[in-house]
Amino acid sequence: MNTLDFSIVAQSWPYLWSGLLFSLSLTAAAFAIGMILGTCLALVQHFDVPVLAKIVRSYVAIIRSIPLILVLFWFFFLMPIVLGHLSGNGRPVPIGASATAFTTFGLFEAAYYSEIIRVGLRAVNKGQFEACQALALSTYHTYRHIVLPQVLRVASPIILSQTIILFQDTSLVYVLSLTDLLGAASKLAQLNGRLVEMYLVVAVAYLIISSAASQCVASLRKRYAIATTR
Amino acid sequence: MPLDTAGNATPSGSIVVVENLVKRFGAFTALNDINLRVDKGETIVLCGPSGSGKSTLIRCINHIEQHDGGRIVVDGIELSNRMADINSVRCEVGMVFQSFNLFPHLTVAENCMLAPMKVRGISQFEARDRARLLLRKVRIADQADKYPAQLSGGQQQRVAIARALCMQPKIMLFDEPTSALDPEMVKEVLETMVELAKEGMTMVCVTHEMGFAREVADQVVFMDRGSIIEEADPETFFRAPRTERAKGFLNQIIH
Repeated sequence: MNTLDFSIVAQSWPYLWSGLLFSLSLTAAAFAIGMILGTCLALVQHFDVPVLAKIVRSYVAIIRSIPLILVLFWFFFLMPIVLGHLSGNGRPVPIGASATAFTTFGLFEAAYYSEIIRVGLRAVNKGQFEACQALALSTYHTYRHIVLPQVLRVASPIILSQTIILFQDTSLVYVLSLTDLLGAASKLAQLNGRLVEMYLVVAVAYLIISSAASQCVASLRKRYAIATTR
Repeated sequence: MPLDTAGNATPSGSIVVVENLVKRFGAFTALNDINLRVDKGETIVLCGPSGSGKSTLIRCINHIEQHDGGRIVVDGIELSNRMADINSVRCEVGMVFQSFNLFPHLTVAENCMLAPMKVRGISQFEARDRARLLLRKVRIADQADKYPAQLSGGQQQRVAIARALCMQPKIMLFDEPTSALDPEMVKEVLETMVELAKEGMTMVCVTHEMGFAREVADQVVFMDRGSIIEEADPETFFRAPRTERAKGFLNQIIH
């Protein structure tokens, strides 16, 4: 019977580390793009901006009904062709695997975050809007200082679970031949024949990072708990 | 259309003029041909059975509800659909709600500071000073750094009063300010309101607190089914209401 040998992990540490860094930076970038764009998308729907709101609704519906992996393929293979057509000379314009990953994840997550924020916007008490009106606050100040901060506080647990899913989904970049944490571990595992050790270590890494994120939000919530209960 | 305060459209002295006001919610007429004048420094108490249109009337005065007919002139500015007019009126009209509507994610002080800074454009220092002063006035200065949810209902409503006062309005509207409070907290809010009225603030209050009306109201306006039925000074109104509907109403709330 085989015994477990974790020395492989110590030896290949730098490679795993670079994979982890890629996963984390992709998560961070997709979170940032997704939240900013998602908030804009949610606001467009919330204010029912003519034409634009319809387009956004279709966009969100389409993205949410397609697997992420398919969107990655689309971007990677179709975007160069589309860009080629747009540039006029008809030759595909390659955009590279990394750029594809960052753009796709950002656009994809924006659809999910926008749904979370859209629902949150509807949950804000009508009295809050009336108080803002009575104080002559402009629409911008109302949303910037009163409405959105409350939405983000209330929605933070759902935003967090979406972000943890995002972090785990970054492993899909293997289809673009990019190496994230799981990808790095897989390659090493197959190279060395130490699959069990590698997958155990990676599982623990995912577990630690995801639960650390949960803890972090839980403590933030506790700090702001006073502000959200009434 | 801005009008001269001393001009023809606004008789001198009246800071709020409501003429032939009509407000409908779909097929339901909430306000029917309302005429009301509020003079500077006056305190007016609006009362009447629920659904009589009192809240709707004061919500029209700062355009939280949009009226369908008639005119409203506040401090020389006629309320139209122009946002500039609406906002200049809202700057001069403070409002206190039945359910407080404090901003739960901001501290008491921040609740008071936000609008003066963003709307009036005063500095953070000035806003903090003003908030401190007015929170002291409503006797809640020591709670400035707490969040609304940490305060009692009565304290929250006094913060709401201070928040409105921080905009330095010329008129204060009160929409059933004590209806959501436990009985023992009603008094502290009423005391604050009495003080304000005695200092000469122009106030329009929807309330059933008849003790308050007797003490400070210059005029009691009784409404029923969207119309003003009776207007009188409080003594006359409570002692000898002219209409049957007012008599019936007074019997119900005093019993």
